[in-house]
Amino acid sequence: MPILVPEPHDEICFREDGKRLDGRAVDELRPFSCEVGVIKNAQGSALVRHGGNLIYAAIYGPREVHPRHLARPDKGILRVYYRMATFSVHERKSPAPNRRENEISKVIREALEPVLFLEAYPDSQIEIYIEVIAADGGTRCASTTAASLALADAGIPMKSMVVGVAAGKAQGRVLLDLGDKEDKVGQADIPCVVVMKDKSISLLQFDGEMSLEEMKTGFEYVLKGAEIIYQKQLEALREKYNKITREAEIEDSAVGNLPQNEQKSINESQNAQDSLQNTSQIDEQMKVQNEKQEINNDHKAEPSPLMENSSAINESQKEVEKGEVEEKSKDEKSSEENIIKSSEQSANSTDDSPKQGENQSSQEEQQLNTENDSPSGDDQE
Amino acid sequence: MGIFEKRSKPLFLFSSVQNKKIVTCKSCKKKVKKMSAENKPIREIVTPGQVIATDPGLIAGRGAIKEDNGQITSVFVGLKEIRGKYVNVVPLNGLYNPQIGDKVIGRVIAKTPVKFLLDINAKFLGILKPSDAFKRPHQNRGYPKSMGTYRLPRENDMDKLKMGDQIICKILSGSRTEEPALTSLGQELGLITEGLVIAISPTKIPRVIGKKGSMIALLKNLLHCKIFVAQNGRIWIHGRNPENERLLIEVIYKIEREAHTTGLTDRVKAYILKEKKIRGIK
Repeated sequence: MPILVPEPHDEICFREDGKRLDGRAVDELRPFSCEVGVIKNAQGSALVRHGGNLIYAAIYGPREVHPRHLARPDKGILRVYYRMATFSVHERKSPAPNRRENEISKVIREALEPVLFLEAYPDSQIEIYIEVIAADGGTRCASTTAASLALADAGIPMKSMVVGVAAGKAQGRVLLDLGDKEDKVGQADIPCVVVMKDKSISLLQFDGEMSLEEMKTGFEYVLKGAEIIYQKQLEALREKYNKITREAEIEDSAVGNLPQNEQKSINESQNAQDSLQNTSQIDEQMKVQNEKQEINNDHKAEPSPLMENSSAINESQKEVEKGEVEEKSKDEKSSEENIIKSSEQSANSTDDSPKQGENQSSQEEQQLNTENDSPSGDDQE
Repeated sequence: MGIFEKRSKPLFLFSSVQNKKIVTCKSCKKKVKKMSAENKPIREIVTPGQVIATDPGLIAGRGAIKEDNGQITSVFVGLKEIRGKYVNVVPLNGLYNPQIGDKVIGRVIAKTPVKFLLDINAKFLGILKPSDAFKRPHQNRGYPKSMGTYRLPRENDMDKLKMGDQIICKILSGSRTEEPALTSLGQELGLITEGLVIAISPTKIPRVIGKKGSMIALLKNLLHCKIFVAQNGRIWIHGRNPENERLLIEVIYKIEREAHTTGLTDRVKAYILKEKKIRGIK
């Protein structure tokens, strides 16, 4: 919660015990948390809570530029819209964009441009919408952090993540991450944006008076704070996917731990489906391949860890089908390619509509794509 | 990122990766694609700017860049995989990048007197001209075709498609800075008259197809639905009955959500069988 203090503020920024008014040390950040993928309609989005700030960022694009005359034939353009909600500050803010908002939009754009590959998107634009829902000092830094997260979430190529954090001075002491009051009554304020890959500075504004020594201390604080925020950014980006992975693992284990009766029933229902040339045939064929690989010294294929992970259904199926498979592997001398083709045909043979399915050529293309692209190789060696 | 093929010097985003060996199988004497054991991909989620390899022998593949100091860093949030000497990052989110020859599902969102403009979920609108959309009507008066035909007067082709129509098209041409030209003449192409179209993230499309089309075969066989997967993230489905269709849609969204996990085909299979039992779908 922001500290509600009547205006005009008094000059006091420290408690009697030497800590700041909210109990922080001089080089301590306000509580920071972030998450990504919060806006479904956007290409990428992020929510950042930094102290009392609550900021949403959403990415749209790359897409066509309107008005067209703004488009550049050699590189894409980045457009940043920083806006504050009318209810984000103590007194109602006019909803019309003012000078301050336009300026902050500009500095955020210039802070982000060096880490993007805009030359890969000629004639197009990437738009970043930043909405400040609640403001508590240091919104331009928190906005940059949110924009960086949203860009990464949108799948737009970046050289590095960036982190915004401010240093400053109040009552003669150098501080990290100024709050609203420290920002207003303090003697200096340095919002910085740090490119985390090489710790270079992408945005540096300075307002107030500071000695060189104090500035040096301020930068040390900034790098220290940026590193903490950066780790939380990475955690948020990974957490979006790790959460799903954990759920999937639980689902897997639930299927694996089914009582034997249920497993049998599932197998039976599978066998009933098999009469229609279904996927278990493909599985069989894959097992034939696996068997072959075992037979051939060439193919020293280790059983992939993914196969071990696979559900107990498959294992029980394996045992049942092993006999057949062995016979087949001796009899059949057809190549893997033939097997694959036949599996494709069996897949296609179920539907005859001219509109459906992939034709051979497109499937082959997709095969190539999937071989290179697909994130896991669980299906085949 | 409308960068089309045939660049003389590929950008890092689109560089092709060729690291599969073609080996002759001893027993069947046929050539098979094979990856050696040491080339087994290692996958982990990486973030932009993260150093993913420092070995000087490795080459930055797609989604990665090599720094001046020899470190290879990622540019996406994606899955890192090392195949042979290439380090790739497969992005987990992104836009559709039109390539010539791709089959896409477009929706008519504007008309001019001479062309249709289609939303194909890419940076530019696709252009569909009537000459690429409809065959010219002709008649041969009952004679064999070799004796010649005469052409019927052309109707106004621009009235044949309405706003909002969904069309399966193929991309004919285009470049980074030009709008792609489409055609709807050809096998599997044309106006969609039945079924429904759902949209997922284009980066998850390879997972819906699966290796060697295994996932799509599984969906077709277990749910008895017709499916057309377009490269721009749209999927046309037409089921036997609404129950099958509903389950199929849920399954496709499940695949999209869990695309980065391992053992997906098994999980999806178990899920379909379980749900079919619960819902009483035969």
